[in-house]
Amino acid sequence: MTIKRFNPIILLAALGLTLTVQAHSPKEHMTDAEQPNCKSMSNMDHTKMDTNDPVMQAMMKQCMKGMHPNESEQEEAQLDPQDDGKRSAEQHSEHQH
Amino acid sequence: MTFRVYFKSLVITAALALFGGGLFLYSGLYPMGADVEHNRFTYWLLETLRERSVARSADAIEVPPGLDSSEHLLSGGADYNDMCAGCHLKPGKTDSDFTLGLYPVPPNLTLAHDEHADADSGQIARRQFWIIKHGIKASGMPAWGPTHDDQRIWAMVAFLQRLPDLDPEQYQIITARGETNGSSHH
Ligand code: HEC
Repeated sequence: MTIKRFNPIILLAALGLTLTVQAHSPKEHMTDAEQPNCKSMSNMDHTKMDTNDPVMQAMMKQCMKGMHPNESEQEEAQLDPQDDGKRSAEQHSEHQH
Repeated sequence: MTFRVYFKSLVITAALALFGGGLFLYSGLYPMGADVEHNRFTYWLLETLRERSVARSADAIEVPPGLDSSEHLLSGGADYNDMCAGCHLKPGKTDSDFTLGLYPVPPNLTLAHDEHADADSGQIARRQFWIIKHGIKASGMPAWGPTHDDQRIWAMVAFLQRLPDLDPEQYQIITARGETNGSSHH
């Protein structure tokens, strides 16, 4: 009987663990995704660049995102649920529902 | 009288051809390994079968407007790099284990296609969309339809139209997945 009383607790704990893993795995994949090498863009022939060309626009979009490199590092640092503050608590609930 | 003789010899010839064909089929003499090329007749037969079938099936597909956009290039480029570049190569690469080992050889999609030069751009896009979605039997080309929606496949088609223009640096920037917020690729 004692075992039965603890079952829902164990179940909840297990569920919580699974959800945490699910919530974080896509993010963890992102950390080893290849980064756009935007430095090579500055070596390109600027006279041939046409801002109306979708190829050019796509490259600019990729490299604009790279302008805020610190943001993603902060997110990675907060992967441990124990010590994160309000901001990441919001992020977690976003993932789980 | 002459007609009956003619008819008789026709039936005998047909029966012999069928028997000979069956004999060849069961003899196991045709080389099936991917490291021996088809003879010209078999190649022509299979190529015609494939091209006619794809053309007929793809005929009714409607190409969505505005394919050539930066959003499509980014979505299609990242997918291409993850799923296709191993077989169909990327700028600066001329071969891979797959292009050396597979037969039929996966075409190098970084080269401008001249064999379909007479086809208009709509025809090329329809054909590519159909092939990516359904794959090609008895070749290495998988069907991506079961795992990817039409929108993502059209984005890859859009990327393929611009792929021959890209140099290795441009290709790297456009196809890199890093720094995205990841929301569209869960
Ligand atoms: C395992 C290797 C392999 C992978 C991975 C692969 N393909 Fe293919 N693909 C082939 C082969 C082989 C053919 C040629 C089939 C034939 O000739 O019958 C082909 C043919 C094609 C063609 C037709 C080319 C032409 O003009 O004749 C297109 C377009 C294509 N693939 C796109 C893609 C895309 C997009 C992806 C990724 C989503 C992809 N392929 C992934 C092997 C592969």
